[in-house]
Amino acid sequence: MIKDVRNLFGKKRQRQKPDAVVQKLMDIVGENEVLYLKEDLISYECDGYTMSKGMPKAVVFVKSTKQVTDVVKCLNKEETPYIARGAGTGLSGGATPLGGEVLISLVKMKKMLHLDLENRKAVVEPGFINLKLTQSISDKGYYYAPDPSSQYTCTIGGNVAENSGGAHCLKYGVTTNHILGLEIVLPSGEVIELGEEGVPDRPGYDLLGLLTGSEGTLGIVTKITVKVLKNPEGKKTVLAYFDEIDDASKAVSEIIAAGIIPAALEMMDSIAIEGVESAAYPVGHPRDIAAFLLIEVDGIAAGIEDQIDEILTVCKNNNVREVKVAKDEAERGLWWANRKMGFGAMGAISPDYLVQDGVIPRTRLPEVLTKIAEISKKYELRIANIFHAGDGNLHPLILYDASIPGESERASKAGSECLKACADVGGSITGEHGVGIEKSAEMRFIFSDEEIAAQTDIRAVFNPKNLLNPGKLFPQPGRCAEVKKELVKA
Amino acid sequence: MSVHEKGLANLVEIAKNGVACETKTLGNYLWDDLPDENKWADCVHCGMCLEACPTYQETGEEQHSPRGRVYLIKAVAEGKINVNEAFSKPVFDCLDCRACETACPADVQVGGLIEEARGQIRQAMPLKGFSGMISKTALKGVFPHQNRLNMLGGFMRFYQKSGVQTVVRKTGMLNVMPTHLKDMESVLPKVGKPVLGRYPEIVPAEGETKQRVGILTGCVMDVMFSDVNEATIRVLTHNGFEVGMPKQQGCCGALHIHAGDRETGKMLAKQNIEAFKDYDKVLVNAAGCGSALQEYHELFRNDPEMLPLAKEFSAKVEDVSKFLYDTDFKRPKAEVKTKITYHDACHLAHGQGVRFEPRQLLKEIPGVEMVELPDADRCCGSAGIYNLTHPEMAGALLDRKIDDIPENIEMISMGNPGCMLQIAMGVKKHGRSEKVVHTIQLLDWAYEKDKEEASKQVKS
Repeated sequence: MIKDVRNLFGKKRQRQKPDAVVQKLMDIVGENEVLYLKEDLISYECDGYTMSKGMPKAVVFVKSTKQVTDVVKCLNKEETPYIARGAGTGLSGGATPLGGEVLISLVKMKKMLHLDLENRKAVVEPGFINLKLTQSISDKGYYYAPDPSSQYTCTIGGNVAENSGGAHCLKYGVTTNHILGLEIVLPSGEVIELGEEGVPDRPGYDLLGLLTGSEGTLGIVTKITVKVLKNPEGKKTVLAYFDEIDDASKAVSEIIAAGIIPAALEMMDSIAIEGVESAAYPVGHPRDIAAFLLIEVDGIAAGIEDQIDEILTVCKNNNVREVKVAKDEAERGLWWANRKMGFGAMGAISPDYLVQDGVIPRTRLPEVLTKIAEISKKYELRIANIFHAGDGNLHPLILYDASIPGESERASKAGSECLKACADVGGSITGEHGVGIEKSAEMRFIFSDEEIAAQTDIRAVFNPKNLLNPGKLFPQPGRCAEVKKELVKA
Repeated sequence: MSVHEKGLANLVEIAKNGVACETKTLGNYLWDDLPDENKWADCVHCGMCLEACPTYQETGEEQHSPRGRVYLIKAVAEGKINVNEAFSKPVFDCLDCRACETACPADVQVGGLIEEARGQIRQAMPLKGFSGMISKTALKGVFPHQNRLNMLGGFMRFYQKSGVQTVVRKTGMLNVMPTHLKDMESVLPKVGKPVLGRYPEIVPAEGETKQRVGILTGCVMDVMFSDVNEATIRVLTHNGFEVGMPKQQGCCGALHIHAGDRETGKMLAKQNIEAFKDYDKVLVNAAGCGSALQEYHELFRNDPEMLPLAKEFSAKVEDVSKFLYDTDFKRPKAEVKTKITYHDACHLAHGQGVRFEPRQLLKEIPGVEMVELPDADRCCGSAGIYNLTHPEMAGALLDRKIDDIPENIEMISMGNPGCMLQIAMGVKKHGRSEKVVHTIQLLDWAYEKDKEEASKQVKS
């Protein structure tokens, strides 16, 4: 696409010859829409989860449903595995190759196809950026609710695949609660449409629900109809500093128990605070607190003051050191930027990090955090905690340095133990980041072999040859077989 | 000699002479002035930078994103790929606009890393053929030499004044030039005479002297936009500052550093550090140059002798608009009735974090109505000489910039000569009529009006 003047005047770059499969893909989408040289592919070795890497065979950029169909049919025929990829900001390796897959990049399918504010919905292509949707309708008084922290760059197609959540999902629900319809290319090359315009619920199985969050293992989404919401009339944000995690945690439970459903209710502990305060948007949080809560209420303007008063009272009853309400939009924006940069900010205090995504019953937080502190000590790795406290979705961020031999493995084990701790208190191993490569083994913490087999049977209905995103989401029985083989050899 | 052979030769040399301690290598980076590992260690691959990057927005390709480029640069250090043409392309296709640095949660210095990688590439693969010649004549032969630059300015003045320009334009001789060069020729500003050398080395303050400041007159700025330099001197002296223009100063070296010629960059940096050694404050009215001067210490990160001097110098450098705002500039009283928008030069907004002050200078001029430009801090495509080396990408970005300019605007203000040329070209190409001005010029006109009105009052 970019023509370099050096190519105009100088020698054309010597290109390594594409192989037969790549050549066929080029015939479908055009020569410039396929990457296959090692240097061009290497940055596609992983997504936002960097612990596992694999080289793709090629990257294909598609621009229409027709091209997706043709590419899928071609790869089916060649029996080459393939993966759909959006912006590559996923945190569990959902778009990361195991090695040798063709990546079908949907980032060039980024148009809004239809906007129907009267019926409060929009139709977008999968490469449409999450935040752009809100930006393009905010002047008309509307927004798109699911707001993963990566919303500046992640695609709605990727959000559908991972059933992404975000800070404001406590009140408004995750991606699946905002999807009205999908157009999907199945691994057979067939195009199907799920959901119907304007009809909120249909008889029969909830296939929309099945496809949303299937982590790219059942089909490739090529068109998405989403709900858009009217901007809330009023909005207020509170920041509360606590000296004890227990107090912050009790405050969370009491706010919910009081019948308030905040739009967002976030917690960060001291190491996480160290990270965000060293990064791009420091707020000036005190460094010696145990945790802060960031609480936002929105809705009809009339009730908001009362809710804020009640929240302030709850915080004070739980020994809050300091609590304040954002004085204007700028301050509110800064608090949120500081929070939303939380993961990336870890780069400022550690070369690498591994984020976990456990879910726990809110009331068990102090106990789980104690357990995580023990894990941190055991593996000699620092662990920061960012917590969607309102819905019990905990993100332990394990800080490590991949260049030190053995640290990656230790981090991985520590992560797994954190998830075990969540599962042990009746929680789950993922709230919003997906299972991907990262947590496929940990699926056994919450599912029996039969339950896993039932799910892979469903996958086989859509994806019988398992060419679409193989090796993700479920533990691979192959691993056991390999181990056994090694044992026999020995 | 291939890259690989050269690396081997380097290693053989080390083995022979036993100077391994001096010629360090890092993975497949085998040349002097190694890139900084700590810069990529900060990147956790989160992807927040993707949509901030103009080349990613245009291409959607990971290797043309900041995160992708950092990944490639790291991959060479890890020995996974070589320094070759396929590596060079994404690294040189970067605009160096630094928008990613604003977006990055972990403050990864992508710009610095790109410059360091370019330094390695140019040592590994020196430019040959046509582009090598162009680069040598322009970057090494002209920009470092004030007198040659002035001569070039003289040629241009002659070209414009003698009627040659009219003849050339009318006869269609320009049609043999590539379109983007032709477009650029069509908006060449009326070239005045450079201020450096023409003005005294020290221009006294009007009234009581608050402080003495040095100004970098710049190369392109002084040749193409000497009127902006004149305005800068007038505005500063009007505000009570004594303005010094040490004659030994030269080009800031940004173009060289961006092109991977770090050696010439260092030579120019040393020259400027020396030239301004007696000044506590060095003001710059060209964002790109300001940013380069503020990062001289990055250039000397592997030179313990120069490093402290460079650090001390960089700390003295400030953009003129920020300096004026921070020193409580004289508020003009006369009205300048105009409707204006403001474009953030990349190296002012992303490079130096200066966004608020220039807007405030404009807003506080009575009569100026300021309308915000959507995505004001997206690169216009000028990016030093990027518009010459990558006309297609630069053109696409320029079109987007012009499309964003609100209706019924009379002027577009900014703080960088490269952007001024580029946007003027866009305005013309799109058949629009907005006037492209430097922020300081507007303030200068307001003061001018103040003075006129004051003298009228005296007369009456």
